[in-house]
Amino acid sequence: MTGDLSVQFQRRLGSFSLDVEFSAAPGITVLFGHSGSGKSMTLKSIAGLARPDSGRIEFDGRALFDSRAGVNLPPHRRASGLVTQGNTLLPHLDVRQNIEFGIHHLPRDERATRSAELIGLLGLSGFESRRPRSLSGGQQQRVALARALARRSRLLLLDEPFSALDDALRNAMRRELLRLRSELGLTILFVTHDLREAHFLADRIAVFDAGRVLQLGPREEVFRHPASRRVAELTGVANIWPGVVMDVSGEGVTVAVSGAALLAGSGTHAVAPGDQVDVMVRAERVNLRRDMQASSGPMNLLPASIVAEFAYGATHVLQLQPEGPGPRVEVEIAARPYSVLDIPARRLFNLEIDPRDIHVVPGSNPGC
Amino acid sequence: MSLEAVDWSTFRISAQIAVVATLMCIIVGVPLAWAIARARPGFAAVLSSAALLPLVLPPTAVGYYVLYGLGRQSAFGRFLIDDLGFRLVFTWQGAAIAAAVVAVPLFVRTAQAGFEQIDPDLLDVAATMTGRRGVFWRVAIPLAWPSIAAAALLAFARSIGEFGATIIVAASIPGETRTVPAAIYDATQAGDTALANTLALLTLLIGISILIALALLLRRQQERS
Repeated sequence: MTGDLSVQFQRRLGSFSLDVEFSAAPGITVLFGHSGSGKSMTLKSIAGLARPDSGRIEFDGRALFDSRAGVNLPPHRRASGLVTQGNTLLPHLDVRQNIEFGIHHLPRDERATRSAELIGLLGLSGFESRRPRSLSGGQQQRVALARALARRSRLLLLDEPFSALDDALRNAMRRELLRLRSELGLTILFVTHDLREAHFLADRIAVFDAGRVLQLGPREEVFRHPASRRVAELTGVANIWPGVVMDVSGEGVTVAVSGAALLAGSGTHAVAPGDQVDVMVRAERVNLRRDMQASSGPMNLLPASIVAEFAYGATHVLQLQPEGPGPRVEVEIAARPYSVLDIPARRLFNLEIDPRDIHVVPGSNPGC
Repeated sequence: MSLEAVDWSTFRISAQIAVVATLMCIIVGVPLAWAIARARPGFAAVLSSAALLPLVLPPTAVGYYVLYGLGRQSAFGRFLIDDLGFRLVFTWQGAAIAAAVVAVPLFVRTAQAGFEQIDPDLLDVAATMTGRRGVFWRVAIPLAWPSIAAAALLAFARSIGEFGATIIVAASIPGETRTVPAAIYDATQAGDTALANTLALLTLLIGISILIALALLLRRQQERS
């Protein structure tokens, strides 16, 4: 019982083709991508609700699907629990009966023990005899989770389970899911197109685009070191600039970006002077300073003035144009530093970027 | 309106035919409607067309095919009569088969609509917890039952009024196969306007009660969804 999932399959659907390969372990693996990128179809294929053309899906050392060996277990024999976005509770059954739906075959007292345990775990005490229609959206999704867990599934498949809920409730449910992950040690696949949700929940992220997995890795790895320009775009990297490698040294790679030399300390591929590259910096990794003094260690410093700003409440997004040569830089800053730096009154600042936060990948469109 | 001239056996025979025809519609039509609702679009269209065929035929043509199928002219009919001993031509049971064939399109259409209203996500999630049979009996049937009941009521109403198909298969033998519609036809042909009038009024009453029951059922279904 390792809880390891390995997925590799192909499926054609008209002009769309899905060619997916990734693995997951106990903890939350987020399948992240835009709608139509193939993540929900991937989840359905793992659940056995859609049949791949070829490939192999294995969980806990057992083949769920194997086109060569002719294995295709029906959904209810795959021991996976599924929760989707909408209300999928049975309206004619009460909460307890819904939770016990999938353990119908067990003796009555065992069913009762299990449903009582899950009702406690998910905070549904007092609602046992209520019909789904009389529950709130959050309670309905709790029942759906309990129902998926009742079969002692080791693999939990969640397809945007909280996206129909309002903001506050969604946050509460996400925290609850983190608690369940720690308490139960399940392998959880969580499909979402919401970047914040992906970051909040993920132990690991698989980035989907046009039916492929572009990158799979630990959360910080994917967010801080995207494997390609496309992954950076999908994971919300605000600053992506084309550049040319000037020098490669022990400290890092020096890149010319719009006439400015930037020292980059992060990269996924070996590069050589003269190479076209894409240079990436997350907006929240750029520091704004009032003085011209750098923090300790080698730092990239660019004097720049604010040309545009957007207020999101908890954070502010600023666009700064360097005084000399250099690219336009987007900076995300929390509300408190925004007022401490007295940004509304001053326009000229010093941009400070740690080389470790400048990430370089081979250029996606040479000649630009 | 005089009730003395009414031969009440016609009502009993019509009711027998309608009840049996409705049961046959349920047995054949529920799985068929479920198959149409769940099949891939192309195959669903084929099944759906096949189920609708009796609707576009004159009932007398349906009756003719049923007569041919049940009689000695066909291999199936000879098998029924000679090997199984079922002589269905000129019996009310034969008429029930003809009525069922005429009513089945109406039944399938109505039941299918009920199955199609079920959220596909709900059926997907259920399929991860129970096999195909479980999904059908424990999810689809309970969720679609108001539609199935409405379908049965419509099939019953259609069967009780069926004339063309039943008269070809079973004729109009008094006390054996003469139905209310046949009795109205016979009374009109014989110039007995009073009897025809009485019978027609009684069918009107039955029809209105069926419509009221149907309206109640549909309201119940709307409350669910």
